[in-house]
Amino acid sequence: MDVEAIRLKIKQAIHRVAGIEVSAISDSASYETDLGLDSLSILEIAVELENQFKFHASDEELSAIRTVEDAVNLVTKRSGVGVA
Amino acid sequence: MKRRVAITGFGLISSLGDSPSLFHQQLCEGKNGLGQIVEYEAQGFEPQPGGRVVSFAAETYLKGRPLRPLDRTGKLFAAAAKLALESSGWTAEYLATHDIGVVLGTMFGSMHTISHFDRQSLVEGPSCVSPMDFSNTVINSAAAQTAIWHKLRGINSTIASGATSGLMAIGYAADLIQCGQQMAVLAGGADEFCFEAFCGLERAGLLCGPASKGGCAVPFDGRRTGMALAEAGALLALEDWDSAQARGASVLGEIRGHANAYNAAWNQAGRGPEAIIRAMQCALEDAKLSPSAIDCISASANGSVADDRNEARAIGTVFNHGVALTAIKSMIGETLGAAGVLQSIDFLETMRNLTLPGIMGLEQVDRELVPLNFCRQPTFISAQAALISSLGFDGHACSLIITSPQLA
Amino acid sequence: MIRSASVAVTGLGIVSSIGTGRRQFWDALLAGCSGFSRVKSFDTRDYSVHVGAEISDFYPEDYVLELQPAMIGRTSQLAIAASRLALQDGALDLADIDGDRVGVCVGTTSGEPHYIERFDDQYVQGCTEQAGQELLRGYPCHVVPFNIAKELGLGGEVMMIPTACAAGNYAIAHACDLLCAGKADFMLAGGADSFSRITYTGFARLGAIAPHVCQPFDRNRKGMIPGEGAAILLLERRELALARGARIYCEVAGYGLSCDAHHMTAAHPEGEGAARAIKIALAQSNIRPDGVDYISAHGTGTPTNDRLETIAVKKAFGTHAYKVPMSSVKSMLGHTMGAASAIEAAVCALAITYGCIPPTMHWQSGDSDCDLDYVPNTARKHEVKVAMNNAYAFGGNNSSLVLAAYSRSGRQHQ
Repeated sequence: MDVEAIRLKIKQAIHRVAGIEVSAISDSASYETDLGLDSLSILEIAVELENQFKFHASDEELSAIRTVEDAVNLVTKRSGVGVA
Repeated sequence: MKRRVAITGFGLISSLGDSPSLFHQQLCEGKNGLGQIVEYEAQGFEPQPGGRVVSFAAETYLKGRPLRPLDRTGKLFAAAAKLALESSGWTAEYLATHDIGVVLGTMFGSMHTISHFDRQSLVEGPSCVSPMDFSNTVINSAAAQTAIWHKLRGINSTIASGATSGLMAIGYAADLIQCGQQMAVLAGGADEFCFEAFCGLERAGLLCGPASKGGCAVPFDGRRTGMALAEAGALLALEDWDSAQARGASVLGEIRGHANAYNAAWNQAGRGPEAIIRAMQCALEDAKLSPSAIDCISASANGSVADDRNEARAIGTVFNHGVALTAIKSMIGETLGAAGVLQSIDFLETMRNLTLPGIMGLEQVDRELVPLNFCRQPTFISAQAALISSLGFDGHACSLIITSPQLA
Repeated sequence: MIRSASVAVTGLGIVSSIGTGRRQFWDALLAGCSGFSRVKSFDTRDYSVHVGAEISDFYPEDYVLELQPAMIGRTSQLAIAASRLALQDGALDLADIDGDRVGVCVGTTSGEPHYIERFDDQYVQGCTEQAGQELLRGYPCHVVPFNIAKELGLGGEVMMIPTACAAGNYAIAHACDLLCAGKADFMLAGGADSFSRITYTGFARLGAIAPHVCQPFDRNRKGMIPGEGAAILLLERRELALARGARIYCEVAGYGLSCDAHHMTAAHPEGEGAARAIKIALAQSNIRPDGVDYISAHGTGTPTNDRLETIAVKKAFGTHAYKVPMSSVKSMLGHTMGAASAIEAAVCALAITYGCIPPTMHWQSGDSDCDLDYVPNTARKHEVKVAMNNAYAFGGNNSSLVLAAYSRSGRQHQ
């Protein structure tokens, strides 16, 4: 799965949790400032990604996710999903 | 001096729709809100009657924000609250300057969410569970979610006393207004239809079972075998009487009195009507009304063999046998936390359109029951006062008295 | 708010991880005993945390005498024990009074979770028939107060108010209203919760559980520690208590309830709702902020709660916030969920009676967010005429209960 596909899956997870249209989520969007996500939503999205990509992040790693790009980087690094 | 409690609005989500007037009209037409529950055959449960709100789409009522944080119980209650708020006539200014309370009555709370959350933990591991689902595993989550959605910052409470919870919630909220703690409260109940509730009630032998095996959920009928589980969300908008008058509100009725009672020896004492009698008598005392002032009774009867009999005995003990008696669970099934609230809403409509719904399907009144005025057909009635009765499955009883705004 | 009567606290029944019964509990509390240990009731190997505050020495057959202990859940057992202890402590013999005039009002977070947990265990293995049998009888949370009523033969007002971590305060508040309205002569009011896998899993997933100890208001606080327990207060109208010669611990002077209407798991960022509940409670009690001698804090030990609670107290108390001692017994008991605020109400009653304030244990230093007097590490002799008990729950349910020393003149402490 390439980075684009990972990014799309992350945006789809954000959509499922927070109802924001995928097309309205920019690649560089900040969770709190741009998307208005609260801490519970951010954690929910992170757990969805852990389950989907089959990895477990530490609390420190999870709390460091502030943007869509942070999520892409973590998923890429931890899930063993290669970049095509 | 206790303050008076006006009913100034109502809202419901039920298997007979979301409009109180249409809900009542369909009850008067004898419309059956129950379908067949077929989806649990894989777990060994034969199809039998049940009342899902099949067409419920929460986004119709709750717009503009994501609904993912709410579970079904929360959505039922919050959606019905939206309708009650709209019906109340409270303006945006009133809502901004008053902390409206919310009181939820529920039997199971979010049992489905709780069970699903726990099963996910067992199957996938504790780190795979949904944080949002966890926030709904508290029994009061529907009340909290409703307050969050509608920005209601007054007293927020939940009553979980079994199937009487909805009526208890109305009584609790009325008490808050009577003693001056709150000017206005949304009070009601909700319970969702879920496998866990269905399984629990079926295993306890309380459900009516398939019609093919003689299953019959008709209240007071000699053929009855048990109840049909259903779901709903329903609320009343309650308000300090003087405040309602001052703002020119349309007052639908008054909460005149309420009481509840329990018989601790119920299991040993042969499961008799003692607690129901006491609840009815104490509610009348609380309302300062005699039994003859009550024009009709909305019974809790749901097809349960023992409870329907006890309720009939209690009514026969407390009231003149000619008092008009209906049982709307004949059409909407047993909605648990929402039940007493739906009965209350139906009576408010009965006062308005002068018709008491009949007990649908009642063809053979159980000969062992005292001969009461079981209304088998919709009945013309000019009612000023009703007793709403709610029974738990374990000897608990609650009675609420609603009167016309014109009754002195 | 029309309050037509004074409500006296005449009996206390407590079951906790540091002691059962008023005396044992209070002695352990003042000595700073902790109830934390490795979780035993289920396997935590797949969790990142392993500490809880379970009760290890509770024998239900000592207290459940009419019902069969095996036929009811642990929460009911704890609640029944606390009820019997409260009646004993209050020297009230039920044989002497009309059981229909005694009510039960209890709060909880989870009710009887073991029934649904067993159901789930069987469900995932594909066999629901066995567990489904006991689900209705054992699980819905109203069974807790109804089991108390069945055990003791009571037929008055019986209800469950499951407002989660603030439930005890809600139950006590409603019990007072029922007494003032004359709907009951005695009320057994409080809260109970038993250790729950579901609750532990959820708080662990939120990252809210501390790894070793609970350190409320400390700069290094890392979270809460789930526990279990029960507390029941025997409440009656003051004139009845005096007439029967009951010992009066204190009176319930008033309460305040509010809702943040903000978020399910996060309190209002400015402590608005919590401050409002405090102010409503003080107004109802006719007590000024500087009339409060002790605050029993919600103090869960999470970074957020303790910071926001401190903000709320400052908002409501002004400069007096820096003078009134505020401690959290969750530093010793952990978070007993629905029992917490009931246990803490009992703590307030005892603080008033004995003129002593329990400590906040494991406190080493505060920070800029938490800079009040948290009574660190050592119990403090201090006259307490008025105590406030604060509790906050999921969904922004805020509660403040005010307890005041019994005044023979009947006038409220100003």
